[in-house]
Order: sequence, then C-alpha cells, then structure tokens
Amino acid sequence: MASIFLQDPILPAVALGTGLPFLAMALILIFTRHNPRLSSRISIGAISVAVVSAVYLLVKLHAATAPIQYQTAWLLSDTLTVPFGYLLDPLSLTMLMIVACISFLVQIYSLGYMAGDPGFSRYYAFQSLFAWAMMNMVIAPSMLQLFIFWELVGLASYLLIGFYYEKWSASQAGKKAFVMTRVGDVGFFLGIILLTLGFGNLGIIDINEAARSGSMSSLLITVSGLLIFCGVIGKSAQFPLLTWLPDAMEGPTPVSALLHSATMVAAGVYMFSRIFPFFAASPDAMAFALFIGTVTMLLASTMAMVTYDLKQVWAYSTVSQLGFMVMALAAGGYFAGVFHLTTHAGFKALLFLCSGIFIHHYHTNDMRVIGKSGGRRLVIPIACMTVGALALSGLFPFSGFFSKEAILGVLAGHPNKIWLAAGLLGALMTAYYSFRLIFFILFPAGGIEEKAGHAHHEDIHGHEAHEGDHGFTFWLMVIPVMILAGITLVLGFFQSSFEHFLVGAGVDAHAGEGGHGAGHYVLLVAAVSMALLGILGAWIEFGRKGAAQQGFLSKFPRVWELFARRWFMDDFFRRSLDRFVYGGLTSIFTRNDRRVIDGGIDGLCFFTIAGGRLFSFLQSGMLQYNLLVMIGAVGVIILYFLI
Amino acid sequence: MNELSTYLIVAAILFSMGLLGLLQRRNLIGMLISIELMLNGASLNFMAFNRFLAPEPAVGQIVTLFIMGLAAAEAAIGLSIILALFRRMHSINVERAQQLRG
Repeated sequence: MASIFLQDPILPAVALGTGLPFLAMALILIFTRHNPRLSSRISIGAISVAVVSAVYLLVKLHAATAPIQYQTAWLLSDTLTVPFGYLLDPLSLTMLMIVACISFLVQIYSLGYMAGDPGFSRYYAFQSLFAWAMMNMVIAPSMLQLFIFWELVGLASYLLIGFYYEKWSASQAGKKAFVMTRVGDVGFFLGIILLTLGFGNLGIIDINEAARSGSMSSLLITVSGLLIFCGVIGKSAQFPLLTWLPDAMEGPTPVSALLHSATMVAAGVYMFSRIFPFFAASPDAMAFALFIGTVTMLLASTMAMVTYDLKQVWAYSTVSQLGFMVMALAAGGYFAGVFHLTTHAGFKALLFLCSGIFIHHYHTNDMRVIGKSGGRRLVIPIACMTVGALALSGLFPFSGFFSKEAILGVLAGHPNKIWLAAGLLGALMTAYYSFRLIFFILFPAGGIEEKAGHAHHEDIHGHEAHEGDHGFTFWLMVIPVMILAGITLVLGFFQSSFEHFLVGAGVDAHAGEGGHGAGHYVLLVAAVSMALLGILGAWIEFGRKGAAQQGFLSKFPRVWELFARRWFMDDFFRRSLDRFVYGGLTSIFTRNDRRVIDGGIDGLCFFTIAGGRLFSFLQSGMLQYNLLVMIGAVGVIILYFLI
Repeated sequence: MNELSTYLIVAAILFSMGLLGLLQRRNLIGMLISIELMLNGASLNFMAFNRFLAPEPAVGQIVTLFIMGLAAAEAAIGLSIILALFRRMHSINVERAQQLRG
C-alpha cells in the first residue's frame, strides 16, 4: 500500500473537498433551517470548495503514473481489516470532477428553480448530503466503503424524490425507488460478503490485481460478479428493476438532473468500471451484463417513444443510455463506457435543466401543452435543449457523437454482431424520441394558442419580456444551462486526450478498444445515418407543416399500450408482490404475529391474572391472620435454629 | 424461690398471654394492651438476666428503659391509628376493617 506523506497537500484537498458538504448539511439542518439565503450560501460554498479541490487534484495528478491510495484501518477483526481512505486514479478523478461540477451547477440553478419554496433549506441540506455521499463513494478504496456511501447516496435519492412529501405520488415514488434499489443492493451485499469469505480482501486495487493475475478462482469471480452486478441493476435502473427511475421524476427537476440522470444512477456504471478487470475476468458475468444492458436500452427506448411527459422522456432515455454504457463495459470497452458516462452526465443534466426551465415557466410537464403555450419563445432554453438532443442522438460535433461512436466501435469488435445491431437500433430510437419531443415544442400542431389580454401582450414580447419579469432567477437558471451546453459542444474533442489520461495512465488498457479500424468508417456512416433517420422520422411525423403529431405507434394501440405501461413491468411487480409477498410470505408472518407473538403475550397476561386471583385468596384482609402466620413463621425459624 | 427460672417463667407467661390476647381479641385497644404485655414480658427477661448473669454492667436495665420508651411511642402511634380508623369506620373492631381483602 502506497501511503503518502502527510505534508503532501493531496490529503487535505481530498478531505476538504469531500468533507465540507457533510459539514454544510449538518450546519443547515441544525442552525440555519429558517434562513434559506444563508443555507443556500453554505451549501454552495461547500460545493465550490469541492469543485476547486477536484480541479486541483485533477491538475496535480493528471500525470501520475500509479493510483494514489491512502487508507487507515477502520475496523479490525481477526483476519479482516476494513480500511477507510481514498483511492485516486484517473477514473475516480474524472468522476469526482463530474460530480462536483454538476452538483455545483445544479445548486446554482436551484437558486432560481427552488426560489420561494418552503423547503428551501431542507433542499440544500439534502443536496449537500448527496454531494458528500457521492464524492466519498467515488473515491472509496474498498468495496465496503463504496457500499456504505452507495447506500447513503440511495438515502439522499429517497429524500430528494420525496421532497414534496405532501404529495402522495411523490412519497410513493420515493419509497418505490428506495425499495427497488434495495432489492439490487441485497445482491450487491451478498456479493461483497462472498468476496470477503472467498478472497479476504475488499480493496479495489487488490481485487482487480488478483482477478487480472488469475489468482482468484473463476467460479468465485463469476458468482460474486453476478451478485455485485445486481447492485448495478438496482442503482442504474437496469432491466428488471428499471421502473423506479421514471417514477423518481416526482422530485424537483434539478434533482432529476443531478441524481437521476447525471450522477447517482451512473453510480452503478461507475462501480462496474471501478472493478472492471474483476468483471472482465469472468466471461459469463460479462455476457449476462451485456444481455441486461441491451434489453434495458431497447425497452427504455420504446417506452420513451410514447410518453408525453417531458421529464419521463428524459428519464427513459437515461435508463436507455445507462443500458448503453453497461453494454459498452460488458463488451470490454472500458474507455468507451466511462467516456459515455462522462458525456452523458453533461448532456443529460443539460436536457433536464432545460426541461426544468420550461416546467418552471409553464407549470406543466406535458410537452404538447408547453408547445402550444409557446415554449419555443424561450429561445435560449430551446436552443440548449436542441444541443442536448443532438448530443443524445449522437450527431457531430456534440459530445454524444464521440462517445456513442466509441461504444459502437466496441460493439463492432464483439464477435456476435447482434449487439451491434441492437446498438444501432437503439441509436435510431434515441434520435426519434428526442426529436419527437423537440418538434412537439418547436412546431406545435395548430400553432401557438394565443392567450387573451394581458397574456397576449406578454407573449408578443416573447422571451425578453419574461426575462424582464423574472430577471435574476431566470438568468440563474439559464447560465448553468449555457455552461453545460458549452461543455456538451466541446467535450467530444478531448476524446483522445481523455483516452490517454484514462487508459494510457496505467489503469487497464483492455483489448477490444482498437478492435475496429477498418470497419470504423462504415460504422461511423451507419451510426450517423441511423441518427439522421430517426430525426427524419420524427420530422415527418411531428415536425413538418401539417404533421399529425400522432406517431406511427398510435396506429397500433396494443403496442402503444404495451410501451406506455412499461411493458407491464409494474403490473408484473404488483401482481407478484400481491401473490408471493402478500399472499405467501406476509401471510406466514402475519400468522406468526397473531398466533405466536400475540398468543404468547396474551398467554402470559392470562397466567399473570389467574395467578393473581389464586394468590389473592391469601389476602383475607384480617389483620390477625397475618399476624398468626407471621408468628408461626418465626416459630418455625426458631425451631430450625434450635434443632 | 428467688431464682432466674422463676422470673423467666413469669416472663414467658406474660409474653404468652400477650400473644394470645393479640391473636384473639378483636378490639384494637385490647390488642394494643396485649402488645404492652408482651413488651413487659420481654423487659422482665432482660432485667432477670441482668440481675443474675451480669450484675455489674447495666445493659439489661438500659434495654428495658429503651423498651419503655418504645412502648410509649408505639402506644402513641397505635392510638392515633385507632383514632383515625374510628373516625372512618365508627368502630374499633378489626373485623370491620377488611377493605384489603383480595
């Protein structure tokens, strides 16, 4: 273990950056709950420090050849040592940067979005909690520390989804998210336990090293790998457990941008890439992951094609893109997966924040209503949203183009071409549903409905009037969006330097990265034409003048219903919950509760009462009988001592 | 005639009469008097042992004085309890005071 010198500024930088948000949360919850301005300042101050330290670490360590690890023993037990500390390598530095920056931008944005909300202080406390947990998870050097913060991130997610807890659906969605991710986490935890028993060490570097050198038995790797992958399924909303993420959109939109698209749900993918060599050592686990990722990507894309809710579209698209990342990693493309994670964090946060502006402005999530009320007059948001949608569809020169290209390259290198076909199909559907949404807002059917009187006057002046009205808060929301749009625009061009940083710096140069080459040009054309085809389809159905804006799917009501009801997955869960949990397990527990526990306590009470009745006969109430017994007892004692 | 056993027998008779009275009388005043009898029996024992077995130290006499003080205090408390009971029950018969019967 390379321990570093204390006089080195890295330790304080890490501690400061990842510790302050927790302090901020404590301060806000204890002292400044009734002072929203101060609360937001504390929180933003803490996250600014985190950004600065993340930048500092990135600059200082970008040329480091070996991962820097610092840990102290936290729990000691017989043969097992549980360390606590940090691990800085290109992957964690990248993720730290993403988390800090997007948290910062979202917190700035929230100043405008959440202004005047009664729970303003609480909101910032939870945001700080999330930032703290997420950053500590990112730098975790061992699986156990990662797991602890993984759960804390889940807690922050639960709290923020149910932020509007007076709303029934919001609190339900929070519970659903918590329970569903917990299902996956049970598997994750079992995997960790199995790894502890079988390998005896949970250090990420050690696990990766052992898996790479083949000193771990392949059965152990496969079984524990599959179990740990359950955690990815839960957290990153992969196939069977994906329905919690769309429901999580009940939270405030900045929360959706930060947690449920850019960072938290990417935690699963991050963990996958964190112990990538470990997974890579088991072809079976990788094949399973590839299958799950593909199914997720395709299912979620179909769902996104039919919903009218702005945030739901982006939520399904997040699920689908996460599936895409899992596909990339599972096909062996370490760099491609992480690169897509990075670019996706940027453009998905952008898309959500733009949607947030529309939702804030028009007080509705329905894209048709927003389009009809003149959504396109908010010029900057719609422009930025289009940038995000182009990046999501994977068109040059936006960041999504580069990362999607990298993933498709990896898939093309895979011997089984089905995955490549699925990837291309996914790209087609992605472009279709993103531009379906864009065209709904840009070119509403029947034009923009002008409102009478005052509203009409306001509409004529367009966005300038609104900016004048909202002024400061509007710009608070627009500036982070513009920054993210700028990032989306330029990030792709850093692909090669990023690749050098991530892979060349000695993490793991995995085969399959450069597997394309000859077919690369064809692939590029195929991918871009798929995206263009998707956009064209959306244009014909939703964009062009006099388009019906129905979509070809409405001709197949059965299919529409299938997609709109999420392939009946929620019904399936409901049904199986009713049958197996409520009908089977719970009834046994109920019976146990009624018969054994209640019966036992009732029996105890009955015997106490009966015993009391019995003994009460001794209480004659006659003073002299008591006296007689007492004297008799004394006599007996005397006799005992005399004889 | 002037022996230790004579005094002890008299004391035992006094004590037994007191005990019998205590157990048998239903009148609270009577019970109180019986208790005095028992205490006197005990005092007589102390005096007799002091006189015959340890003539010099006056421990037995001190204990007897102590018992007399105790008896006075007991009579005061006992009588006040009896008075309180009488105010409540209009009777000083223990058979009437059976509210604590289970």
